[in-house]
Amino acid sequence: MNEILLSSEVIVYLLSEALLYLLLFIAAIATLGILKGWNFDRFTKRQFDLENRSYLVMSIIFFVLGLKMLLLPYFAYTIDALSLLVPGAMCAAGVIDANDYGSPLLLLKIIILFLSGLWLGINRLDLEEKHYPYMKLKSWFYLLLFILLSAEIVLDILYFTHIETTNPVSCCSVIFGEIGGNSLPLGLDIPKLLILFYLLYALLVLIVFTGHYLVRIAASLFFAMIAYYSVVYFFGTYIYELPTHRCPFCMMQAEYRYIGYLLWGLLFTGTFLAIESAVMEGIFGRDALKLKKISIGFLTLFVLLCSSYVGLYYLKNGVLL
Amino acid sequence: MIRIEDVGKRFGEGENLFEALKSITLEVEEGECVILSGISGSGKSTLLSLIAALDRPSSGKIVVEGELVSKLPDLHASAYRAKTIGVIFQHFNLIESLSVEENVIVPLINSGLDMPAIRKMAEQSMQRASILHKASQDVASLSGGEKQRCAIARALVNDPKVILCDEPTANLDRENSLRFIDTIQKLNQAGKTIVIATHDPLFEALPFESRVIHMADGMIGKHGE
Repeated sequence: MNEILLSSEVIVYLLSEALLYLLLFIAAIATLGILKGWNFDRFTKRQFDLENRSYLVMSIIFFVLGLKMLLLPYFAYTIDALSLLVPGAMCAAGVIDANDYGSPLLLLKIIILFLSGLWLGINRLDLEEKHYPYMKLKSWFYLLLFILLSAEIVLDILYFTHIETTNPVSCCSVIFGEIGGNSLPLGLDIPKLLILFYLLYALLVLIVFTGHYLVRIAASLFFAMIAYYSVVYFFGTYIYELPTHRCPFCMMQAEYRYIGYLLWGLLFTGTFLAIESAVMEGIFGRDALKLKKISIGFLTLFVLLCSSYVGLYYLKNGVLL
Repeated sequence: MIRIEDVGKRFGEGENLFEALKSITLEVEEGECVILSGISGSGKSTLLSLIAALDRPSSGKIVVEGELVSKLPDLHASAYRAKTIGVIFQHFNLIESLSVEENVIVPLINSGLDMPAIRKMAEQSMQRASILHKASQDVASLSGGEKQRCAIARALVNDPKVILCDEPTANLDRENSLRFIDTIQKLNQAGKTIVIATHDPLFEALPFESRVIHMADGMIGKHGE
């Protein structure tokens, strides 16, 4: 067994994931049974049993998905801690690229995070009603999510069992260091990227309260993508106070007061809530004013936090990087 | 008002299966007083707990005030109880460390009303149950009859349309039992629908119009006026 699997962070992470997956697996089996026999209009013993069971099963899914959301930052912390064991890695960026499974796993985790949030939203809607109107929808949705969760646990195992501690990997300065025509999307350079970043934020603030829900979803996702590149290629350099240091992970280290967790947390949560508010209004016809306000609050804090690093650096040094 | 259709309640499974209620069908009109009588284990309390949505049936339908309570999810069951139902329990179920007034206020905590309005409602309810003079006294120091009146005040504070009483006189002497019956009569005259589960013979011949329903072995037996 290699050193990776013996590290305490990986043991805790994999055991937690395995335990949660076991609960999700049991919930998936029970969900199939619920879907098979569910008919709310019946007053039979079987239907009452299914209603009681569904309450338990949905509660299990609710808590496990909530815990898995907390496991995402712990995953980032774990792979960051592994950089001490993987030669060449300075932070999680090197470790995530240590094999072919890392990047797909991280992407899958982010997709699952968003879909889990959506499931929790539908579950909340269902609990607000007296006759479980979304029971079938959320059950089918959960089964779809369970397929992704199964892929995630497989990728988790493949990823952690295939990290070599003998082969050097590229660190973030190599992975993100080059600024060329292909590094930024849509042929953007830094000034255009920043203009787009602030314009999209302003647009999002405007359309989140008035726009069509599909436009809002598209704008939120586009903003998240542009924000990611803006942090990595511009704002991050002010966090590190080094123009050549472009990395989405190093800012999660103690050296930078773990600010990356807050920064990415604000961006992901704000984007997710903007999407959820659009889905709740556009698809379920619910009032989502509170969600919209919270999402804009999170995204505004994100933009202010990013900008503050540039402003403070300029105030301190009188120049920009 | 209260419509119970083919309701069954089972506890346990296999060899431990116990059928507390077997296919109960019953209607209670608005403003009616119904006495569910029968020996212990006949299913009276179980039926009350189902009407109060404290538990769910294993089969069948219970509709109270147009609300299908037998299928209410937990969150809505609490709201239904807070709005529609007042329950008086055999053992009162009061919070011993609180005063009478504080106990009476408990059901209104999540009502959204401000404190002066809540206090006023509690005062009216304590007045109605003749316990206002003990408002600031700790419940632990009250007699059985006083605890009963405190429980009545708590059950009435949200002005429920339906009052359910589970063996309300089991822990009272004759004098307090008669006083309780007098209170129930006044509530019934005020238009409240009342269902009482009891095996106290005092309820067999109440001094006001009521319907006695005998229960045995989880089923409804003979009906009497």
